[in-house]
Amino acid sequence: MPIWLETAIRSICILIGLFVITRILGKKQLSKLSFFEYIVGITVGDIAGTMSVDLGISLQEGITSILIWSLFPVAVARLSLRNKKFRDFVEGNSTVFIKNGKILEENLKREKYTVDELLEQLRKKDVFRVADVEFAVLEPNGDLNILLKREKQPLTVGDVFPNPPREKEPQTVIMDGMILDEPLAAMGLGRGWLKEQLDKQGVAVENVFLAQVDSYGQLTIDLYDDKIQIAEPQEKKLLLAAMKKVQADLELYALQTNSEEAKALYERNASKMQELVQKVEPLLRN
Amino acid sequence: MTVASQVKQTLASLKGIHAGLQQLALTSQDETAQRTFHEAMLVTEEIIADIKNRIGRLEFEEPQYHGK
Repeated sequence: MPIWLETAIRSICILIGLFVITRILGKKQLSKLSFFEYIVGITVGDIAGTMSVDLGISLQEGITSILIWSLFPVAVARLSLRNKKFRDFVEGNSTVFIKNGKILEENLKREKYTVDELLEQLRKKDVFRVADVEFAVLEPNGDLNILLKREKQPLTVGDVFPNPPREKEPQTVIMDGMILDEPLAAMGLGRGWLKEQLDKQGVAVENVFLAQVDSYGQLTIDLYDDKIQIAEPQEKKLLLAAMKKVQADLELYALQTNSEEAKALYERNASKMQELVQKVEPLLRN
Repeated sequence: MTVASQVKQTLASLKGIHAGLQQLALTSQDETAQRTFHEAMLVTEEIIADIKNRIGRLEFEEPQYHGK
């Protein structure tokens, strides 16, 4: 067998083997690489590379080594799932750097962090004043995470509206001009409904690149032809406007009428309508 | 426009609102939203009944507006 052929066969086999191994190792390895896992990854790659080129190494030796290097982290991950103490030992603990707004110098020293590095990490998180930080912790993977003081935290919807309406994830119902039945069914809707909505907007299914349904059953679409203007869904806004108009009308009638009985009736219903508007306005506004 | 026809117009808008709320109650995914829309829909039904009554009275008192 010519040397090049042997190298080719080895390389292809090792490639396939590595692919399987990375599949087994899973996604966690990608997102949260500890130092140990990082080293293991490099070493496995190195062994594989050497094995495919260096014909002096027998396949037995190489495969044994690669299996040990790649299966050991899997075993460690399995064990640390079960045992908290083992997990702490393997993955390390987080170190608190700032507590109650005060820097803990001892912990900085223990992690060999200079103040400059701490400031740099804080700036990465858009914090330029240490005084704004209530709590900061160095995670085992080297990230610094911070909790700002209450008055420095960004405003959230919950701060402005005490009970904001909940919103579920929108579903994509048309992709590349094809209707996706599964998400449509998940929303409790059908092809008939979709057809009706598209007809309302005056477009054919084939011309739709992407269509999504939000949690209020409103359809938003993107067409292949970007020159065509599509109106945003207005139903909710129109409904809110109609409710406000009716409320105003009822108040007007209450003022215009001479009959006491009718006045009472109009006023009662006007206030009912007012309450109604207040109740549904947060849901209809966007 | 006579008073009766104005009130009738309002009644029509109310019916439209009723239908819109019903539609939203059916198509919303969140349960709280569904309930809110449904309750709102029931309130509009009460208002519609009241206004219908009133239109009946108006037509009775002023028969010249009947059916307009």
